[in-house]
Amino acid sequence: MNLKVLKDVLVITALKSIPDLKRQPLMIFLIGLISSLPLYFIVVFGGQVSYGLIGAMVSTVSFIGMSAAIQDISWDRYVKIREMIIAMPVHPISYAMGIALAPLVLSAPSLIFFGAIAMLLGGLTLASLFWAAIALILCWATVSSIGFLISTYLIKASPYTLNSIANILGIALGFIPPVYYPEEMLGSFSWISAIFPTSNAASLIRAYSGSLDLPFEMVIARWLILIVTMVVFAFITAAKARWREP
Amino acid sequence: MEAVKSINLVKVYHSKETVEALKSVNISIGKGELFTLLGPNGAGKTTFLRIISTQLLLTEGEAYVFGYNVTTQPEEVRKHIAVVPQDVATYGNFTPWEYCYYFSLLRGISKRRVAEKAEKALKAVELWDLRNRPCATLSGGEKRRAIIASVLVSDVEVLMLDEPTSGLDAIARRNVWAVLRDMVEQGKTIVLTTHIMEEAEMVSDRLAIIHKGMVVAEGTPDQIKGLAKERFRVVVEGNLENLGLTENNNHTVKFGSKHIIYVKNEDEAIELVGKALKKGLKAETAPVTLEDAFVGLVGGETD
Repeated sequence: MNLKVLKDVLVITALKSIPDLKRQPLMIFLIGLISSLPLYFIVVFGGQVSYGLIGAMVSTVSFIGMSAAIQDISWDRYVKIREMIIAMPVHPISYAMGIALAPLVLSAPSLIFFGAIAMLLGGLTLASLFWAAIALILCWATVSSIGFLISTYLIKASPYTLNSIANILGIALGFIPPVYYPEEMLGSFSWISAIFPTSNAASLIRAYSGSLDLPFEMVIARWLILIVTMVVFAFITAAKARWREP
Repeated sequence: MEAVKSINLVKVYHSKETVEALKSVNISIGKGELFTLLGPNGAGKTTFLRIISTQLLLTEGEAYVFGYNVTTQPEEVRKHIAVVPQDVATYGNFTPWEYCYYFSLLRGISKRRVAEKAEKALKAVELWDLRNRPCATLSGGEKRRAIIASVLVSDVEVLMLDEPTSGLDAIARRNVWAVLRDMVEQGKTIVLTTHIMEEAEMVSDRLAIIHKGMVVAEGTPDQIKGLAKERFRVVVEGNLENLGLTENNNHTVKFGSKHIIYVKNEDEAIELVGKALKKGLKAETAPVTLEDAFVGLVGGETD
């Protein structure tokens, strides 16, 4: 990967985030607000808020990963900016990475806010911050890859259809598996948590913070599942995605 | 060396049915030339442009930009081209300045030179005063010019524009034409597609008429006009029978009470106008237009 590819990642990240941030600064609260909605129910029904905050962090990266990979790409196709970029000396990896990174920049304040509150409430420790960051990055990369794969296959679908798909999947991945609630609530089905990148990442963060008791082998197994899922989806996407139309 | 060259270019789309969009197209575009692909909707103009701009793979044949093969050397081709696609829209939150700024950075232009180049491009399309206004607040013509500025700023040798003035009003269209001709004066090569005859006639150095995936004529606008069977047209308003003419024995086209009568030479045209005026009919004559030649060449059919 040469320097131009990395530089273009930063340029596309900037072009996809800075103008939006300048003209719609309130949007940085929007993603955080969506992710923090379940916290309201957790507070009202007496659940563990620190659990919910970790869920909100995971759900934020998952939601933005999915929506960026599907909505941004379909929108770029629709307005034909993508065609202009294809005809430039820009590597497809720069384009994909830039698109995926831009919403991460926009949601960084929400992530920091949720993380800070979780630390204050003891749901996240200083020692676990590094592992939490890795788990969040892997979750974001996996969900983004799934999103890119979907937008690759649904090349002819309208942006409106793709928007709906992105929203449904983003909500499903963030709210259905044990992301906001302890996986122990699933009883003998708690293994389901390892299947979804979102709940897997949330459980790993909780395990490092001491709020979930996972044996060491299980922690390793979960990291492996998260990494392998990410690599598999990234690989399939790279193999199937076409920069140039056939 | 030609700026753009295609040799026996074929493109077949396989979807529900097989469509041969380009059938052995041979086109050579010289450096510093404004070359227009003129054709009815669905003729294959956009397909040709998308192939030479490395967005679409060809089925058979070869295509080159400055000697680089578009199939095997797309990265090299992309260093020399910039594209404005058909019906391109803008990001509403972007300003014309941001379009120029970010697109130049992607072109590898250093930050130091971006400001100077963006200013030049925005002034060329007369958007300098609106440079900091979000595109959502600009008119259709201003938005299109913002996109064109983002391409001009790139400083590449070949600009490919797919119906860049489609949907623009006459003034905005003329502004774009002026910008394009300026670019040609500066040595750029422009490949343009359009179905607007006046545009093709006004801005092109040379043009090719594409119909059903084939080049049916190629040359300067005057050469293309020379391919029409008749040299002059007489427009008469009223009943042709008063002139002793019928719609059958002359090449005549009727639009309501107006008739266009095509005649072989100027003398015949003047004589016909004289006759019409004597009978109290409105009449005027002019040389045949590019549109007349175009309709003659494509047989009045569109896809």
